[in-house]
Amino acid sequence: MAVVPESRVLTFSVFKWSSYSSTYLPENILVDKPNDQSSRWSSESNYPPQFLILKLERPAIVQSITFGKYEKTHVCNLKKFKVFGGMSEENMTELLSSGLKNDYNKETFTLKHKIDEQMFPCRFVKIVPLMSWGPSFNFSIWYIELHGIEDPDVVQPCLNWYSKYREQEAIRLCLKHFRQHNYTEAFESLQKKTRIALEHPMLTHLHDRLVLQGDFDACEELIDKAVRDGLFNQYISQQEYKPRWSQIIPKCNKGTSAQEINRDDMNSDGDDNRPGMRGGHQMVIDVQTETVYLFGGWDGTQDLADFWAYSVQENQWACISRDTEKESGPSARSCHKMCIDSQRRQIYTLGRYLDSSVRNSKSLKSDFYRYDIDANTWTLLSEDTSADGGPKLVFDHQMCMDSEKHMIYTFGGRILTCNGSVEDSRTSEPQFSGLYAYHCQAGTWSLLREDSCNAGPEDVQSRIGHCMLFHTRNRCLYVFGGQRSKTYLNDFFSYDVDGDHVEIISDGTKKDSGMVPMTGFTQRATIDPELNEIHVLSGLSKDKDKREENVRNSFWIYDIARNNWSCVYKNDQAVKENPSKALQEEEPCPRFAHQLVYDEMHKVHYLFGGNPGKSCSPKMRLDDFWSLKLCRPSKEYLLRHCRYLIRKYRFEEKAQSEPLSALKYLQNDLSLTVDHTDPDETKEFQLLPSALFKSSSDFIPLGFSDVDQTYAQRTQLFDTLVNFFPDSMTPPKGNLVDLITL
Amino acid sequence: MSTSNANFKNKCVTQVNCIFCDSLLCTRGMKAVLLADTEVELFSTDIPPNRTVDFVASCYSTESCKCKLRDIACLKCGNVVGYHVVAPCKPCLLSCNNGHFWMFNSDAVSTLNRLDATGQCLNLLLWGDLPELDDSENEESESPSEEECIR
Repeated sequence: MAVVPESRVLTFSVFKWSSYSSTYLPENILVDKPNDQSSRWSSESNYPPQFLILKLERPAIVQSITFGKYEKTHVCNLKKFKVFGGMSEENMTELLSSGLKNDYNKETFTLKHKIDEQMFPCRFVKIVPLMSWGPSFNFSIWYIELHGIEDPDVVQPCLNWYSKYREQEAIRLCLKHFRQHNYTEAFESLQKKTRIALEHPMLTHLHDRLVLQGDFDACEELIDKAVRDGLFNQYISQQEYKPRWSQIIPKCNKGTSAQEINRDDMNSDGDDNRPGMRGGHQMVIDVQTETVYLFGGWDGTQDLADFWAYSVQENQWACISRDTEKESGPSARSCHKMCIDSQRRQIYTLGRYLDSSVRNSKSLKSDFYRYDIDANTWTLLSEDTSADGGPKLVFDHQMCMDSEKHMIYTFGGRILTCNGSVEDSRTSEPQFSGLYAYHCQAGTWSLLREDSCNAGPEDVQSRIGHCMLFHTRNRCLYVFGGQRSKTYLNDFFSYDVDGDHVEIISDGTKKDSGMVPMTGFTQRATIDPELNEIHVLSGLSKDKDKREENVRNSFWIYDIARNNWSCVYKNDQAVKENPSKALQEEEPCPRFAHQLVYDEMHKVHYLFGGNPGKSCSPKMRLDDFWSLKLCRPSKEYLLRHCRYLIRKYRFEEKAQSEPLSALKYLQNDLSLTVDHTDPDETKEFQLLPSALFKSSSDFIPLGFSDVDQTYAQRTQLFDTLVNFFPDSMTPPKGNLVDLITL
Repeated sequence: MSTSNANFKNKCVTQVNCIFCDSLLCTRGMKAVLLADTEVELFSTDIPPNRTVDFVASCYSTESCKCKLRDIACLKCGNVVGYHVVAPCKPCLLSCNNGHFWMFNSDAVSTLNRLDATGQCLNLLLWGDLPELDDSENEESESPSEEECIR
């Protein structure tokens, strides 16, 4: 095998551009003058599409691209861009999607230059800026260097391969088309001549049985074997999760419950046996023992100091303390934060909200407690963390535990201040707490980031009501959402705790809207380091005006590796419309000030309480307790579903010729594959008999071919079934006829 | 913060352009000196420049005073052309100032004195000729006490 030659700088010219402004001509990118502010291409606007198309002197394998920059930071630097490449300017594939840091360092990115381990050549490279560092500014590119291989000895074989690859895919599309239209001779002679396989032999077999022979029993067997061989696993892994909520009805302690029932018929399951209604409480979970700890909160009129543990295995709450203050623990509080060190079996709590009426220099101290689970004791770690170099008294902040290095990270929260003492005219402006680290062993605090505007690449903007999660494997904190005064923040960044480095994942500009969870909602988030996912449940808007129109739950999953959000579900049901009991029991009503914890070992979420935000009863708080599991379709489900599809079709075919036996088939065989407890499936099933009375006149003949309705519909079913198989086995997804534009 | 102070009425109204890309930044410029360091010359304006500049980077303070500043850049070329006083400090507020919070660095802009309505060469437009601005300060009456905490 030939040695791949070294990557060299490739010669190119600027071939086309979308626009340029002033003297910032496109060809300026050919020279690298970092000290000259005018040595750059700058677009005329930031209205898309903006681009530069570069033409290489000769076809080459383009392996990397280097961006030169100005000697200082510059708002016109590309925060987000894409690079495309191809042999012609009309036909390019995406080679890179990335962004530049706003600094003076040159940055080099590897470009995609292989398909199936085979290098492909490019003649044109298109750079598409998507976002600049200052959202309202134009795009500038200072200098571009392309690296790769242009040695004809290497490029020529790649060119040959590339054209062969394209030809092969074209032939496969033809084969698919010919077979769909039953041009048997053309199909066979093309296949004979080219020896290109349309699909895996197993699927050819399926096609033969299903479309040509109509042997449906054999098809079911084939599918059954495919499922058992794990061929549907790839499909399953690409499916979205479905949320499965169930309300937890904990067991009562026998002793008290009977008395409770007598005393109060409205609350038949005694109040003493489980935590009461509240919002602004805190919850943590010990995944090893499957225990949920709950502390404090606001019941609508007062702060609470009760402390509870729920055992998942026993399905029972136990009250650890009615009043932790009496046990030298924290006083009653709400809007505090809690985190758990499962390794050392310790729980920490920091911060609280205080009504303005009770704020004074004494009450505004930020006390910090630790609870030892095994010893059942509270320890006051600090009377005032700000005196120890830690955060001032804050509420609605975030706190994460790093058990491995025995550290706690806390970020954001609004600093509580006395209303009276106005030092200067600016105190009315709310102040927010920065990012702090607490070294548990040494008992010391360090300030990692002050509250600042987001402008610098390493800066973070403090906030309240945000989410912060610690990824125990890649050791990064993930922060998103929240608000600052009246501004809802939409950005998303990670902080590498070991490298002390901020990475902006999304700056939350409008371009992403609809694709990310909405802000202004009191979202709750959890992380699964093993699956590399972040889960977000967003509920009720804090904003009173928005509350009415946007009452819904939605659940989002962020795939950390792929950097994308997906919405698992949205529920538009309005809570004010007095929902039917059935719906109410199906899932928790939208709310805020609730708590959500996640057991990443058993993959279960737990939600408790909160504020339903009813303007008619402002003091109402909830005490419902839910578990949430995220499920993907199972193998068994898919097998049943495929069986259903095959049998449904078989019935429809029968209905045309022998309605009576079709009816029998419907009642027996087909009915077996329907989940009659599922309302949607049942409804569809009930509509099936209409096929018995349908004529076949709604069939549109396929152009010039002699394909009949049976053949066409069986082909359709075949295409549906093939979707469950991995791409490497299936015919091409596209259709030749779709290339025709009108 | 009014510009009605007699000291400033006789000042010329200047047009301010970006020195880098020549785009128009502001038509209500006033030549001024820095309060904290009267050696430094700059051009200031009273109304936020409309769609010609935007903020870059974060707030900062200089060594000379405690004003909170934030740089502004020309929207067309992105180069820094001046700064905005986000929150003035007490000493600066109390000293004789022109009430302008938008500053252009003299080496980042080119300026031209504006002429008055007669258009005659020597009739320069003065700040005293400009109509008074409406004091629309109470447009955003915030009520931060309402629902400070949600629980």
